[in-house]
Amino acid sequence: MNVLVPLPVVLPLVAAAASVLLQRWLRVQQAFGVLACVGTLAASIALLARVESGGVSAVQLGGWPAPGGITLVADRFSAIMLVVSTAVVLAVLVYALGQLDAAHESLYFHPVYLVLVAGVSASFLTGDLFNLFVAFEIMLTASYVLITLGGSGAQVRAGMTYVVISLVASTLFVAGVGLVYAATGTVNMADLSQRLAEVPGDLRMALGLLFVCVFGIKAAIFPLFFWLPDAYPTAPSPVTAVFAGLLTKVGVYAIIRTQTLLFVPVGRPSVVLLVIAGATMVVGVLGAIAQNDIKRILSFHIVSQIGYMVMGLALFTLAGLAGAIFYIVHHIIVKTALFLVAGIIETATGTAALSRLAGLVRRAPLVAALFAVPALSLAGFPPFSGFVAKLALVRAGLEVGQGVIVGVSLAVSLLTIFSMSKIWGGAFWGSLTEQEVSPTPEAVPRPVPAGGARLRVPPTMLLSTAALVALSLAVAVAAGPLYALSERAAANLLDTTAYVTAVLG
Amino acid sequence: MLLALLGLHAVLAAAAPAVSRRLGRGVFAVCAVAPAATVAYALARAPAAFDGAPASETVAWAGRLGLDLQLRLDAFAVLMVLLVSGIGVLIFAYCAWYFGPRPDLGRFAATLLAFAGSMLGVVLADNVLVLYVFWELTTVTSYLLIGFDHEKGSARAAALQGLLVTAAGGLVMLAGLVVLGEAAGTYTLSAMLADPPAGGAATAGALLALGGAFTKSAQVPFHFWLAGAMAAPTPVSAYLHSATMVKAGVYLVARLAPAFALLGGWRELVVGVGVATMLLGGWRALRQHDLKLLLAYGTVSQLGFMMILLGAGVPEATRAGAVLLLAHGAFKAALFMVVGIVDHQAGTRDLRRLSGLGRRMPATFWVAVVAAASMAGLPPLFGFVAKEAAFEAYLHGGIGPIGPIALGGMALGSVLTFAYSARFVWGAFADKPDVARAGHDGAGAHAPPAAFLAPAALLAVVTVAIGVLPSFAAGLVNAAAAALDPAVEPGTLALWHGFNLALWLSALVIVAGVALFARRREVEHLQARLPSMVDAAQAYHGLVKGLNRGADRVTGLVQNGSLPVYLGTILLTVVALPLPALLSGGLPTPDGVIAESLLQLAVIGGVAVAAIGTVLARRRFAAVLFLGGVGYGVAILFVVQGAPDLALTQLLVETLSLVVFVLVLRHLPENFEVHHWRLGQAFRRAVAGLVGVFVFVFVLAAGQARTSPPVSEAYLAQALPEAGGRNVVNVILVDFRGFDTLGEITVLAVAALGIAGLVRARRRERGDEEPA
Repeated sequence: MNVLVPLPVVLPLVAAAASVLLQRWLRVQQAFGVLACVGTLAASIALLARVESGGVSAVQLGGWPAPGGITLVADRFSAIMLVVSTAVVLAVLVYALGQLDAAHESLYFHPVYLVLVAGVSASFLTGDLFNLFVAFEIMLTASYVLITLGGSGAQVRAGMTYVVISLVASTLFVAGVGLVYAATGTVNMADLSQRLAEVPGDLRMALGLLFVCVFGIKAAIFPLFFWLPDAYPTAPSPVTAVFAGLLTKVGVYAIIRTQTLLFVPVGRPSVVLLVIAGATMVVGVLGAIAQNDIKRILSFHIVSQIGYMVMGLALFTLAGLAGAIFYIVHHIIVKTALFLVAGIIETATGTAALSRLAGLVRRAPLVAALFAVPALSLAGFPPFSGFVAKLALVRAGLEVGQGVIVGVSLAVSLLTIFSMSKIWGGAFWGSLTEQEVSPTPEAVPRPVPAGGARLRVPPTMLLSTAALVALSLAVAVAAGPLYALSERAAANLLDTTAYVTAVLG
Repeated sequence: MLLALLGLHAVLAAAAPAVSRRLGRGVFAVCAVAPAATVAYALARAPAAFDGAPASETVAWAGRLGLDLQLRLDAFAVLMVLLVSGIGVLIFAYCAWYFGPRPDLGRFAATLLAFAGSMLGVVLADNVLVLYVFWELTTVTSYLLIGFDHEKGSARAAALQGLLVTAAGGLVMLAGLVVLGEAAGTYTLSAMLADPPAGGAATAGALLALGGAFTKSAQVPFHFWLAGAMAAPTPVSAYLHSATMVKAGVYLVARLAPAFALLGGWRELVVGVGVATMLLGGWRALRQHDLKLLLAYGTVSQLGFMMILLGAGVPEATRAGAVLLLAHGAFKAALFMVVGIVDHQAGTRDLRRLSGLGRRMPATFWVAVVAAASMAGLPPLFGFVAKEAAFEAYLHGGIGPIGPIALGGMALGSVLTFAYSARFVWGAFADKPDVARAGHDGAGAHAPPAAFLAPAALLAVVTVAIGVLPSFAAGLVNAAAAALDPAVEPGTLALWHGFNLALWLSALVIVAGVALFARRREVEHLQARLPSMVDAAQAYHGLVKGLNRGADRVTGLVQNGSLPVYLGTILLTVVALPLPALLSGGLPTPDGVIAESLLQLAVIGGVAVAAIGTVLARRRFAAVLFLGGVGYGVAILFVVQGAPDLALTQLLVETLSLVVFVLVLRHLPENFEVHHWRLGQAFRRAVAGLVGVFVFVFVLAAGQARTSPPVSEAYLAQALPEAGGRNVVNVILVDFRGFDTLGEITVLAVAALGIAGLVRARRRERGDEEPA
């Protein structure tokens, strides 16, 4: 039995249990959490290395062979997702140490955060459809707690939308699993990939689209994304950052996994998915343009960029899937970094509203740089990681003659830079004296220091943000080998033999 | 070495802010090292490049995507490098005098040098995707430089305008380059041009690539962003927005033209747009009062001129274009520097407020006269040589109907050019009695320090020198043109070609130009009265406004904040998306047994009634009771099916939920909210019913599809012998699928922590902090 495979789930889960007991000793609890994340990251990297050299690794939990027992499976795609997500999780935790106050942390932030990590890892590793539901539940329950952390009224209200919609999604998920079991008599995904092939094509397609909806709610595709821009901006910054970077991408992962392994569409490229991809890109970016708050702009961008990932899947070619995987890797890092910058601005100035910010390029040049790089990258500007990701998708699209979606994706990247320039022009450029500051109803005294004064930012926040920005630059520099890895992962997705053999023997 | 030079730009740019803190304006001297080294290297490599042995380097990046860092210094690149880095050195020298001490000089120097490096990359790139990379880096640095005085709203708006226009074109170009690359089977520029692809895809690609070239080089109808870009500090205008960046489009067209000019309408499009741009730019320049804007429209006009020459793919015109590139770089940068000096010394650059500067700063005046005369195409200056060569190229005909149009356009454009050149010199330096009487006699303006004027003066000297002895430049121009198009035959450059047609045409241009300048007031009045035909700036603003409004409307529509609407949309989508596939084989009909016993049927009926009751109930309490009924009904169903432990669990959960509900209901109004929208209630019921029917149909269809035995049979068989348990459900929960149970326990634990946290936070809010 390969111990490495369950480790990214077990490690944070055990650590979470221990962390509850350490509640009284905050410093110890903090150090313990960071240590657990480092361990998880190390395990994930080791797992990726193992999968790279030894192929798909599967573990039958409890020794019960598939399809009866639960199987954990690591292939290249899941291992890549694990490495990126745990790296981000670690950076955000370090950031949170600088940003959260003891009051927040005393509300069980650390144990719940570790459970979230375990849930995310389990989602990537599980080879069982029902267990995927359980993994989602772990992740979601932890996210319910985190999004209402601190418990202010507005936060709980915004959190309610999120909780209710997620519960509906979970209900649909479990109903979907029931339908799949009714049709096939199994929930093991490798087993399903064989049995679903025997199910009539129309029914398979209907099931596949049902699951696109189920995971699509989580992934925030059009027209299922409404909850996201309402819920994310209200949570504490580190929580928003990790949600923005990871949670929707777990949904995207699930869509890609199920669409390639279980419900392979009959017509390829899948027109339905292409339409969803295009609509998600456009509506998301229009939403971003309409906002005046950094965190809300960034939240709408998430939606828009999910469209790019779906586009890569919809093409259903090696290049398309490779592009989608590369895009996800790039996006997780860059998006989290941007939210961390937003958190820095909010912590240092007390607001993320563009109307009350100005001139940060002078007062915090380093923060400006930390924003500019991921912002340009997100908009697909060269030479950053987002450009390579976009280029991969553009090439993949043109390769199979899908000019329309390529055109849409390029136009949307222009609109993305437009909405990013709104943040740059509003928060980093300009001066506070020049614009009149609209009186706010709360009449909170603005904590903005007098013009020209440098902003004070806790070093751990800067450090972890800088680390993520550096990581995104590394993705750009190492684009060659990383894209090659994405291509190998995509090849595994298109040819499921290795996956099925590893599970079923 | 090429890569090292690019790296040097990057390193010095990164260091610039720190350097400026120590050295102040000395940072510009440090920055100038990078372009100076580049010029030196280019000169050293020039002989080899002229002999057809260009330096080239490749660094692997993402080869699978066609993206490798390929650099190449051929003869045309040498010409461009001399332009980019040569003028770059002078600009840095100029900057040191232009700026007073200010805290953000380091950032300015860094951005300017980053631009210089990016522009160098554009002309060195031998991979179309890498070219795009550097291309967009110039877009970003240009954005930062235009908006350098970011406290001004106008500067921010101009920066954004430039960014959006050029980035939009850039994206179109990216698509074009990828299409071209796919058609050619290579993304290496030199390889693509040596063996150009043909056919529909290649045509589409080449045409799309023009999107980038036209926007970057401010061709009609995208010219307006360049006027806005004048919000930048003058050194930026001199460097980016006249001498180098705006020529990137011309550069790309020059590279592509020999290979693609004959593809469907390419040549006609480029030359046609060039003519329109040359005329419109010249015409608008005649009306400007801001000397910088006058020059900016002049630049637009000259860029059109270059398009006509370099975009036709005609060997002789290509050669003339190479001459014009050099000549324009020299005189236009000098003129911008002069404007900067005038602005700096006199405090204004509005020609209605300037008078008598010719007397007060004679050296500057003469530099301006030489540069402007070159722009106007007067002998014996570089600009004259360029214009003669241009006329010569098109006088021979043989390029189809676009040839005469181009020739006529160039001649008319040159008349306008003469007139605005004269207007510039007059506007900046002449004694204007009416202006002087109004108190703007420029009395406060002193001559600038010699070092401030030196860079412009040096360019003026070059202009004269090459004008008098054009053979200086002949070798470079011939080799550069031949690098673009092997069909270019080396020719001599000469000031004096004899009394040929081109000379007569030049004479005609000068006469007409003088006349136009003499009637400048009438021209201005005429322009004021004519409606502007191409008001692209207006269109841009309309577009941005429309975009913002559209975005607001769409977002207001989809993101209305109402949870019921969100849920309704989600549920309808869930039904609508799979439904066509589900029903494509007709409605599934139940086959065989519907129910196994009458009892079963009765319970199901009860559950159904309770479910419908839940949806129809008006009072919350009734709805909760009905919902409980559904749950208890399902529990009874479990009993009927012989699963007492499941039934027990279900009963417990159901009872607990009911209790919680009742407790919560105490805090809520008795009835559901009354809707202002009566349809709302009906709509919700319809959605609920639809989802119910949908699931029902889906279950029927799925149940009938099963062909193989379910895994549960294996559970039954294995439970006792292998897991040692008689209760299969228990064995599944704790053994077969124990991992699921672990997960569910975690969920419960986290929920408990969450509730504890909320309670604790609430207590803290109330102020009675519990003892730690």
